[in-house]
Amino acid sequence: MKFPYAGNALKDFFSKPSTERYPKVKKEAPKGYRGKISYDPEKCIACGMCIRVCSPGAITMTKGEKNDEGQLIEMKFNLNSCTFCQMCADFCPRGAIKLTTQYSMIATDKNELVVSGSFIKKIPPKPTVKTVQQSKAKTEASGSK
Amino acid sequence: MFDDIITKSKVKSPWLYHLNTGSCNGCDIELISILTPRYDVERFGIKLTGTPRQADIVVVTGPLTSQSKDRALKVLSQVPDPKVVVSLGSCPMSGNVFKGSYSIEAPLDRFVDVDVSVAGCPPKPEAIIDGIIKAIEILKDKRG
Ligand code: SF4
Ligand code: SF4
Ligand code: SF4
Repeated sequence: MKFPYAGNALKDFFSKPSTERYPKVKKEAPKGYRGKISYDPEKCIACGMCIRVCSPGAITMTKGEKNDEGQLIEMKFNLNSCTFCQMCADFCPRGAIKLTTQYSMIATDKNELVVSGSFIKKIPPKPTVKTVQQSKAKTEASGSK
Repeated sequence: MFDDIITKSKVKSPWLYHLNTGSCNGCDIELISILTPRYDVERFGIKLTGTPRQADIVVVTGPLTSQSKDRALKVLSQVPDPKVVVSLGSCPMSGNVFKGSYSIEAPLDRFVDVDVSVAGCPPKPEAIIDGIIKAIEILKDKRG
């Protein structure tokens, strides 16, 4: 008669339980885990690429009024709608979005689960009248040739 | 006196009911994993129950499909008060990638009060444990 797991059973008698004592002993998420989104409005250029690639439509951009200073852009990442696919971060040309390893996203009100940021998009300076005339003259000159 | 003891022990040992309303199974697998020896929520006195009539905490997964909506609400109404409704994952909160579909009735809070929302798709087991600990706190408050 054989007891194939007798050794294991005996060993397990004296080894520690394999249960993770989670809330007492904190645990780091593995590297590359796609958790809570962090958004850096300083880097964003409001190109809207992240909105295009987000399949559940979790990202919204609100544009404010244009004035001399620029335009207020507000980006909202709705984590209660996100699938944590990281497409937005991969497609962002400026690396403004990152998925951190923070996994614990608990809220009693789901509207708290929103990451947002806002910045003022500078309007590019208007070209001076002179350059416009110059370019016109140039095109006319090249057209007559 | 007996009632006092029963109320106290009910808070110490909340029973959990898992309600799947058309989930993709991701959240369900993660919820099952916290009942395994690895995470073992029985440390907090939690026990999985098979009937909503004995449950204190209901964990809802899935985007509430049209087929399951009426049944899910019926099941939720069978849970005795005070109950705590935990919505697990993005699906019951918003419909996730399925939102706008003809067969999806999410979000869940259109129909019932959701006490705790756990974000993730699916949430990590540790996050679910955090959510359940929060649910136990709320249950304590509700029972007074
Ligand atoms: S991680 Fe995916 S689902 Fe979440 S905001 Fe980015 S693109 Fe959208
Ligand atoms: S976060 Fe990145 S992809 Fe999204 S609008 Fe800003 S720059 Fe574009
Ligand atoms: S939240 Fe994500 S993992 Fe959970 S049921 Fe929905 S799609 Fe599946």
